[in-house]
Amino acid sequence: MRRLLIGLAAGTFLVAATSCGSSDGSDGSGDGGKASGGTTTVKVGVIPIIDVAPLYLGQKKGFYAERGIKLSLTAAQGGAAIVPGVVSGQFQFGFSNTTSLLVAQSKDLPIEAVVNGVASTGKEGADFAAIAVRKGSPLKSAKDLEGKKVAVNTLSNICDTSVNESVRKDGGDPSGLKFVEMPFDLMPAAVAKGQVDAACVVEPALATIKAAGGTTIASNFYDVSPDLTVAMYFTSREYAGKNPELVKKFREATAESLEYADSHPDEVREIITTYTKIPATLLEKLVLPRWPAEPDRASIERLAELGQQDGLFKKTPDLDKLLP
Amino acid sequence: MRGEGALLGAAGLAGLLALCEAVPRLGLVEDEYFPPASRVADALATELADDAFWTALRDTLTGWAIGLAVAVAAGVLVGVLISVVPLLREATASTIEFLRPIPSVALIPLAVLLYGTELRSVLLLVVYASFWQVLIQVLYGVQDVDPVADETARSYGLGNWARIRHVVWPTALPYVMTGVRLAAAVALILAVTAELVIGAPGLGARIAVAQSSQAVPEMYALVVVTGLLGLAVNVGARTVERRALAWHQSVRGEVAV
Repeated sequence: MRRLLIGLAAGTFLVAATSCGSSDGSDGSGDGGKASGGTTTVKVGVIPIIDVAPLYLGQKKGFYAERGIKLSLTAAQGGAAIVPGVVSGQFQFGFSNTTSLLVAQSKDLPIEAVVNGVASTGKEGADFAAIAVRKGSPLKSAKDLEGKKVAVNTLSNICDTSVNESVRKDGGDPSGLKFVEMPFDLMPAAVAKGQVDAACVVEPALATIKAAGGTTIASNFYDVSPDLTVAMYFTSREYAGKNPELVKKFREATAESLEYADSHPDEVREIITTYTKIPATLLEKLVLPRWPAEPDRASIERLAELGQQDGLFKKTPDLDKLLP
Repeated sequence: MRGEGALLGAAGLAGLLALCEAVPRLGLVEDEYFPPASRVADALATELADDAFWTALRDTLTGWAIGLAVAVAAGVLVGVLISVVPLLREATASTIEFLRPIPSVALIPLAVLLYGTELRSVLLLVVYASFWQVLIQVLYGVQDVDPVADETARSYGLGNWARIRHVVWPTALPYVMTGVRLAAAVALILAVTAELVIGAPGLGARIAVAQSSQAVPEMYALVVVTGLLGLAVNVGARTVERRALAWHQSVRGEVAV
């Protein structure tokens, strides 16, 4: 009797789970995705932020189409939805920051990076991410953060690791820092109101803080490594094993898109308006990131070291298994 | 009576709008984070002119409608089935009370794992949340059946189906309608929440994009739209309720809302 109820209540689970399984089957066979007339549709889980502009631009420029790939870019809310989506085969590729990928690797999640995502600008004081403080804040450099409250978008991730490093580089002791978790878009208000002393913030929220008179006291990504690979596109090991050709084509097309985006900032600013709602007043002021075609292994090693030092990993991540 | 109510309602709304205009203008809150109502109205006008907005609205309403329909159908069927078989009722009571309070939002990781960011993820959450609203009402409704009426029907030789049709269903209908009304609101809340958190296409996802783009007035404009949708859903559900229960004393004796 009880089984009946559970069966009925969970009916939706089962019905759709079967259909999900069957679609997985068709994905796994053949070339992967839905092949039609030599074109393969791949679903990419992205976060609707500036960082993924090259994909939208590359799609518009036809870099994917000429390699027989049709991109289906699906905006998800953060890595929490993208990593499981890629592992379960809902997405063929996903976008994630490097620390999250390192954490996933250290937990033996079957994923591997495919191609570079986004990198620090390599210019101190003019990066797309920074430690920002409110107008008139007594904090002048990273060392002053000792014992202060700093907003980060995710605890135990790339923000706290890099902020710790900024404080260390400035001759301070990061052990007393208090990190508070909040989404990037809420940071401008929290900084202005003094709810936090500083924030690890990226564009466009960074531009909002600057527009309100706030200043930046350190470039935390730059402090980890001037050429820090901040994020990468990744796929599941299973998908990569079954579709080596397609993954290679996706890598080539994305590399071309990254290079194109890197050398055409005006087109980047234009394409951003198609998938975000960044107001025109902010758009002009945005510090765009850099989009090198290749990830910078040395910077990722450094990030892994720092993460290790901060206790982010139970087991040392294996870069050979993670990187393309 | 009716005109007066509408007038008061309009006055209340005008008061709220005036307040939302005045509070940021007077500097009580910063207008960057809480823009005055006029600027939100501007942003709303821009939204209404955008095709993508209407697509998002349609996506949200699709998730809401399908989810609600599935939940109501399943809730009524399961509810009646459980109620008329006493053994089943006793066997499931504790299970229902265990499953019912589980917040639908807690199922988000499961939804993402199963269906990614598609409509099906939204449906899972919507159906799960609104199913219980209907089911519980149906269970109470059927319990409310007058034993004398039921015995009378039996002694006149009415079969199981005829008793459900002529005794159980009319008794339970007011309860079912309450359940549907509650479920309609819950379904909308969950549809928007799912889009907001998971990123499935719809108004919620659009709110999230506006939020991460620092487009504050646009974000509030979309929030206003969800509020208006909720209002429309409630008015619609009440209308359906009144129509379906026109014969019932609770409606006949009721002053029009």
